[in-house]
Amino acid sequence: MLGPGIPFYLGVASALFAIGLTGVLLRRNPLIMLLSVELMLNGTNLALIAFARQHASLTGQVFALAVIAIAASEVVVGLGLVVAMARKKIDLDIDVLSRLRR
Amino acid sequence: MIAVGAWICLLSPLVAALAIALGANRFSRKATGYLATGSTAISFIAAILALGATLDRPESERSTVTTAFVWLGTHVGSIDLALLVDPLSLVMMLVVSGVGSLIIAYSIGYMDGEEEERRYFAYMAIFVFSMLLLVESANFLLLLAGWGLVGLSSYLLIGFWHERPSAVAAAKKAFIVNAIGDAAMMLSLFALLQHTGTLDFAAVFAQAEGLGKHPALINIVALGLLAGALAKSAQIPLHTWLPDAMEGPTPVSALIHAATMVTAGVYLIVRAHPLFEQAPYVQDAAAGLGAATLLGAGLIALVQTDIKRVIAYSTMSQIGYMFLAAGIGAYGAAIFHLMTHAFFKALLFLGAGIVIHALGGEQDMRKMGGLRKRLPRTFACMLVGTGALVGLPPLSGFFSKDVILAEVFSSGTYGKVLFAAGISGVFLTALYSFRLLFLVFSGEESEPARKRLTKHAGAEGPGWMTRPVAVLALLAIGGGWLEIAGLWHPFSTFLDQVAPPLVGAPSSAREWLLSAGSLGIALGGVWVAWTIYSARTQPAPRAPKALVEKLYFDRAYDLIFYRPAVALSALLRTLVERPVIESSEREIEAQTLTAGRLVTLTQSGLTRSYALAVAAGVSVIVIFFLALR
Repeated sequence: MLGPGIPFYLGVASALFAIGLTGVLLRRNPLIMLLSVELMLNGTNLALIAFARQHASLTGQVFALAVIAIAASEVVVGLGLVVAMARKKIDLDIDVLSRLRR
Repeated sequence: MIAVGAWICLLSPLVAALAIALGANRFSRKATGYLATGSTAISFIAAILALGATLDRPESERSTVTTAFVWLGTHVGSIDLALLVDPLSLVMMLVVSGVGSLIIAYSIGYMDGEEEERRYFAYMAIFVFSMLLLVESANFLLLLAGWGLVGLSSYLLIGFWHERPSAVAAAKKAFIVNAIGDAAMMLSLFALLQHTGTLDFAAVFAQAEGLGKHPALINIVALGLLAGALAKSAQIPLHTWLPDAMEGPTPVSALIHAATMVTAGVYLIVRAHPLFEQAPYVQDAAAGLGAATLLGAGLIALVQTDIKRVIAYSTMSQIGYMFLAAGIGAYGAAIFHLMTHAFFKALLFLGAGIVIHALGGEQDMRKMGGLRKRLPRTFACMLVGTGALVGLPPLSGFFSKDVILAEVFSSGTYGKVLFAAGISGVFLTALYSFRLLFLVFSGEESEPARKRLTKHAGAEGPGWMTRPVAVLALLAIGGGWLEIAGLWHPFSTFLDQVAPPLVGAPSSAREWLLSAGSLGIALGGVWVAWTIYSARTQPAPRAPKALVEKLYFDRAYDLIFYRPAVALSALLRTLVERPVIESSEREIEAQTLTAGRLVTLTQSGLTRSYALAVAAGVSVIVIFFLALR
């Protein structure tokens, strides 16, 4: 098998996941939070594909494709909402956007 | 033929009741009356056809069971929807449908102009159906169903004038007292079912002797059945509902509370006599309670002022005679008296109904008087009815009551005691019934009577009312001729297959001698009533308080059952309900609210804190699994 071994892939994947998680937890702009979620998803995807390669099984790759499709749809909805809020001149601060609570 | 007749007889009133209920306004008020009367008349004709077909058979094959289908199939056995046609049920079918159709026809005139005539006739038809179900059923369960249904229709009809609080209270009382009897009966049937595995009359009675070897069991079964019979037939100590039941319309009193339903207890004892005969103490109790009731009710009747209540107490007293007869084993005599009583007591009630109708709803005998001239035909009919009740020859009551007295007299020492009660009852009967007759029909015309009656012509009511009364008067005269001591007795011979004759029946010479004696006593009672209430040579004695208070039964029940129950409830309310249940309810409510408020703290609405919680949760799980490895 060419290329680096599985630990390297997993290292990059968990780094991506951690960066994304930090972004979700620390940033208040919904746009940035969506981007961070995207990072987390791709970190997971990388891990899935790496395992698929190691086990020479297609299952992980198929799973990664499904995740990409779902992530795409999620972005459509999420970005749509963000754009709509920006158009209405609503403050793009996740802590202010807590109206669903009441 | 017998089976078809039995089913038509049973179902025809049910069809009428359903038609009236579903047809609602599509029938005119009169039409519902015709429908109910017609359907009951059809029942009567069907019963006569069944009787004819039964009489064609040899004596030993006169019992027919007709099964529609298996009603309840269980692992111990099945209970069929089956009818039994035998001499006993035929007599009951004829009495119920015959007297029933006459009384419902009478109601067409009596209830005319009433707001809810349709409801009335539907209830009446339901009652006739239920009563026929009771007497035609071939097993105890179906009998119990009919038993409950007659209780229900009695409740509905007593409370027919539901805007009167007293009528509603009376209906409730009747229902509750009857429910006590029903419950006792049900328990006894459970015991029976457990030990015999069946409730079919024939099968149970075939095992009766085997059951007799378990004295505790057979006594419980017989006692339960007796309690049911006592409640339904208004015998001491479950009699208090019947006088109050007079709140219902008069034809209801005539049909349900005189002629048919209240005699169901007698029917039950006669029907289940193989069981009762295995429990001689219970039989003695039935006879003793019958004797107590006939005396007690006769005494109370002496002081009642409401015309219907006098007749109601008289009904209790007469059913007391029937219990007396059934208790000593004179079943034929009991059923014979049941039949003649249905005729003359229905006649008396309907006659009283004409009087009440003519006086615009007045029931107080003290406000009547001198009605003989205004209502001559009613007077004649009431005279016949009263004569039959008192037992004057050749009216029906003479034959039926004297058979009972003679058979009681010839059944041992206990019989002699009961006979003394019975013969005193004859005197009381004569006294109270002629008191009623004299108070209502003789003497000066009272003020209310004069005012009401001069206004109308035809005061005795429409032909729908007078004609059934006339027919009943003929029956009350001739109904007793089916059974003449020493001459012929087709009635008891017909019944012998179902209800065996008394062992050691009295000779006809003794029977005639006793008849002469009781006739003398009855005439004595009539004479006393005449001196006090008609000729007024004697002042009317003051009514003893005990009798006005109806021998304190209502008071006693109030004191023994009602008040302790209310006191106990009040006590439980202060001791349990308020401190325990109500306060714990409040506490549970408060605690739930507090817990809810605590939980809402986690719902900050801040997306990032939710995300943190999720991340933290995931890390905990991850660490947990890693540590596990």
